[in-house]
Amino acid sequence: MNAASGSTTVSTAKSQPASIRSFLGWPKAGPIPLAVTAVVAIALPLVLHSTYWVGVCTLALIWMVLNQSWNLVLGYSGIWNFGQLAIYAIGGYTAALVSLHTGIPWPLTIVVAGVAAMLVSLVLAIPSLRLRGIYVSLLTFGFAEVVRLLVIADSSGVTGGTFGLSGFDGFGISAMAPEARSRTFYWIALVGVAITLLAMYLIVRSPLGTGLMALRDNPALAAARGVSPMKYQLVSFGISGFFAGVAGALYAFTYGVVSPSLMGLGQMTLLVTMLVVGGMGTLSGPLVGTAILTLVQAELQNWPEIRLILLGVILLAIVVLMPRGVVPLLAHRTGRLKSWMAQGNSAQTKSST
Amino acid sequence: MNAILQTLVSTVVQGSMLALIAIGMTLVYGTLRVLNMAQGVMVMVGGFAAYTTVVRTGLPTWICLIVAAVVTFLLGVLTYYSAVKPLLGRVGVDFEMTAFITTFAIATIVQSVVLLIYGPRQKPFDPLWPGRIDITSDVSITYHSLIMAAVAIGALVGLGLFLSRSRYGLAITAVAQNLDAARLMGIPARRVYVVTMGIAAALAGIAGVLLAPLYFVYPNAGDLPLLQALIVVIFAGLGSVRGTIYASYIIGFLSAAVAIYWKSAYALPVLYVVILLVLVVRPNGIAGKPQEARL
Repeated sequence: MNAASGSTTVSTAKSQPASIRSFLGWPKAGPIPLAVTAVVAIALPLVLHSTYWVGVCTLALIWMVLNQSWNLVLGYSGIWNFGQLAIYAIGGYTAALVSLHTGIPWPLTIVVAGVAAMLVSLVLAIPSLRLRGIYVSLLTFGFAEVVRLLVIADSSGVTGGTFGLSGFDGFGISAMAPEARSRTFYWIALVGVAITLLAMYLIVRSPLGTGLMALRDNPALAAARGVSPMKYQLVSFGISGFFAGVAGALYAFTYGVVSPSLMGLGQMTLLVTMLVVGGMGTLSGPLVGTAILTLVQAELQNWPEIRLILLGVILLAIVVLMPRGVVPLLAHRTGRLKSWMAQGNSAQTKSST
Repeated sequence: MNAILQTLVSTVVQGSMLALIAIGMTLVYGTLRVLNMAQGVMVMVGGFAAYTTVVRTGLPTWICLIVAAVVTFLLGVLTYYSAVKPLLGRVGVDFEMTAFITTFAIATIVQSVVLLIYGPRQKPFDPLWPGRIDITSDVSITYHSLIMAAVAIGALVGLGLFLSRSRYGLAITAVAQNLDAARLMGIPARRVYVVTMGIAAALAGIAGVLLAPLYFVYPNAGDLPLLQALIVVIFAGLGSVRGTIYASYIIGFLSAAVAIYWKSAYALPVLYVVILLVLVVRPNGIAGKPQEARL
């Protein structure tokens, strides 16, 4: 009798932290799904026979890097930064300019682009973090538009104006056969996604991530408990800017061109829709949302007129019908399924003892 | 001397246009706490409505102002029912953020639909009243810009009277000042929301007709006005009608001065730097009240 009650208390004490952890929404990397996803992702270009589809997947991977970086500020920190596309474009332009004018090897160029984007992001963060709520989105959105208009109006030849920059070497594999080249682009972008995902995973599980989420959920309490809003959010802007710049550099090197069309309302609608569909403030949300919408995009390629209309409608419908996105909804459902199965299990073990 | 006169004329014209567009955004934000990103699209739709009535059917020019106002009013009401109403009273979701995204979605949808119907080409639109008067030998004002200033100022005065004298206007003011107290006094807040969104859109639509002869009619015509209106509302502080009018003329003056004395492509970036400086000193604009204690 005594022993039995003792064992139940132990088991509840053991299960308590796990349930709290899932309640807090900390990411748990299941080893089997992760391994399966990785294998599928690596083998995908070998299975796909058309270069077109490998190209579509490569673009999706680049967007995944960008969306993950955006998610850190928008989802985890809850700062309404709508200027991320400008940071992304600045990364792309930096990579293009560096490889046009210097002979630095490409991995280093990508890092340089990331650092340049990080610096711009930090400069943008300083006035933004003084503001609250809606004013932040106004300021950052305006910043992005001004960057776009300045590039378009630029007649000095540095950024190439409306036509953008092209003719740089990129990864230096232009001599390869088209099929092998598109596969190489894909794998390079995949490495980018993996590094970004790992970085985000480590950040979200670190005290930095916890502090950011605390500042998002209850700024007054978090600040009172010693989490400095300025310091934490500045760091999140910096890291997010770095990865956005890397995404821009990957884009520039893969497609061999950067132009103002990297930014703009249409592009922003697409990426925000990806984030909203996947679910902001989750690790896998940006990946899932990007994958879904890239597929939708590619299928609609033959009807460019209704593409944006449909995107707008999807965005509106998702926000109205499931405001937290697909991933939290699925997580909620599987969580309930698991707890229901666990209940059945414990009832069985109880009845058997 | 001539440049100074030119700057002053452009300040009055541009400031009045900005006021028309930005007042709508600030009214909607004041009553509903929605930052309406579809305001720029309303400007564009106003231009297209006028273009369609004048060019396609050949009706007299004055009617197009009314048609544009009615069309954009209805579109504003539609925006409310599709993008804002479903979000009202949701628990656990940041209302301002989601409404920002949904109105943004509306802007994208409307812009793409117009693109689908009319195509991307810029369409010329004749001034409402052709001709110009000379002030000095070099400076002249087109009659159209006189009409722009007159219609805009007339609409603003009308709006002011509406807000301070009529039943519906007072209801809007009351809801903006204190939602709970207004509801306890028996004001139907939901109906006030609909009317506010409609009026805000109609003001932008009128501005769209007036701007059409200067900037042509095309699907992206709303982007620049939206951007300028955003700068005005940040500068003024969201929700303050009086502050918005002052801010419109200040921003109008700055952009006119930069365009005339330097280069028109630099007008927006310069305004942006000014805004950054203002926000660093006063995080809620010149007339806005702080909404929460800063940490």
